[in-house]
Amino acid sequence: MLGEFEYVRAKTIKGGYSLLAKAGGEAAVLAGGTDLLVNIRAGKASPRLLVDMKGVKSLDRLTFSPKTGALIGASVPLNTIVENRGIRTRYPGLAEAAWTVGSYQIRNRATIAGNLCNASPAADTAPPLLVLDAILEVASPRGEREVPVRSLFVDSKKTSLSFDEVVTAIRIPPVPATTRTAFLKRQRVKGHDLAILNVAGRYDPATGDLQIAIGSCAKTPVLVPPLGEPVPPDAPIPELARRLEALAIQVVHPISDLRATAEYRRALLPVFIRRLLEALLQQSDHREAIR
Amino acid sequence: MTLHPIRLTVNGKSEEASVPAAMTLLEFLRERLYLTGAKEGCGAGECGACTVLLDGLPVTACLVLAVEGDGREVRTVEGEAKATGLSVLQRAFIEEGAIQCGFCTPGMIMSARGLLERNSNPTDAEIVEAIAGNLCRCTGYEAIVAAIRRAAKEERDRR
Ligand SMILES: Cc1cc2nc3c(=O)[nH]c(=O)nc-3n(C[C@H](O)[C@H](O)[C@H](O)COP(=O)(O)OP(=O)(O)OC[C@H]3O[C@@H](n4cnc5c(N)ncnc54)[C@H](O)[C@@H]3O)c2cc1C
Ligand code: FES
Ligand code: FES
Repeated sequence: MLGEFEYVRAKTIKGGYSLLAKAGGEAAVLAGGTDLLVNIRAGKASPRLLVDMKGVKSLDRLTFSPKTGALIGASVPLNTIVENRGIRTRYPGLAEAAWTVGSYQIRNRATIAGNLCNASPAADTAPPLLVLDAILEVASPRGEREVPVRSLFVDSKKTSLSFDEVVTAIRIPPVPATTRTAFLKRQRVKGHDLAILNVAGRYDPATGDLQIAIGSCAKTPVLVPPLGEPVPPDAPIPELARRLEALAIQVVHPISDLRATAEYRRALLPVFIRRLLEALLQQSDHREAIR
Repeated sequence: MTLHPIRLTVNGKSEEASVPAAMTLLEFLRERLYLTGAKEGCGAGECGACTVLLDGLPVTACLVLAVEGDGREVRTVEGEAKATGLSVLQRAFIEEGAIQCGFCTPGMIMSARGLLERNSNPTDAEIVEAIAGNLCRCTGYEAIVAAIRRAAKEERDRR
């Protein structure tokens, strides 16, 4: 047995947040459970009530169109996202990030909503969603609101959401067909490990617009401050990488943990920024994992 | 502690039970139904020894609640063999020497079964990816990949 808790399968979104509100912070939404149940078992979380939202049909939907972007329901498992043609072609950096999470079994359960709400600094879907400026659709007894992923992470394992708020969907704005996204991850072993460092970027050669985000290198995943000028596709990468690294070190604070030392992370950073730029500007393939 | 009534299909057989919220699907299968094929290695989603198919998709049963199984279809390694004998996949594991201590085998077989149902002709890279969440401390994996490759071919040839 995992611990002491009650379980309710909510039938509606309202039913879900009403239960959360009534439990006054002692309840948790159960999505795939791949963080929550592990934490309960390890004694790191002890909710009195688990509110399973997977019975709510509307949370199960994934829609994509080039004109409106993607709407990913909170219960949609990562494998469905990885396999979605629209996501793969228009947001390949997100598909790649989702694909690197855990193993196939884990991805049949794990969701983006859970990945974001768990707020690990290493959450793999966070860097691509930061550069894509994705938005969480959130519902609570006070109504509905939108929370940009860019203002979600407050601290390690802490989000700006209130205990009675349910994420219903993740909305990714449309991007021009010319926009490129990429995701790179350093991990010890494929299939079992969080990132030592993960980076995502978005670049449009038509406008020169470039944004990068870094995970596992601060208390939260972070967006690197913008360069403030368009980047031409033939920009010299070593110089661009140096400028981005200088901007990045303003927002990262690598620490040592069981996966790597702070020094190693700091040393990886320029390497991964350079590879990310090569992926975005020259479309080179630096992905490490087997495929 | 509230007990939750559940009704689910396990290896084609309809089952009904009352379970506490904190009981995992793995505990339910092993301790209520005595289907002890799926094993608990880590209890944390990392080793894959508890892999079963939930509505046809491989999941780690240590991270699924028994109540979440309500209304669903579960398959375990016990469902592989038929009255006529072991499945093609099980025999391939034996023939390729893909079993040593056997602790990982039920999970490996279910990950492989899930793979073969979505892809009848997987590449070696696809096989490796499908079992990336299944740890084996004995075989060195090569024999397991060979067994899955062999089973895929034999299952295709039969059709
Ligand atoms: C073996 C293993 C390997 C892993 N590897 C990786 C990896 O490589 N990269 C990575 O980033 N993560 C990894 N993880 C962590 C985990 O799988 C992911 O973070 C996953 O996306 C969590 O999603 P979930 O649906 O399982 O969330 P859950 O565990 O169900 O929930 C996580 C948290 O989010 C809250 N929550 C969930 N849904 C909602 C909602 N709709 N509204 C409000 N709150 C909500 C829950 O209450 C809980 O606090 C791994 C986990 C395991 C067990
Ligand atoms: S026991 Fe479930 S993954 Fe190890
Ligand atoms: S055969 Fe012993 S763990 Fe795989």
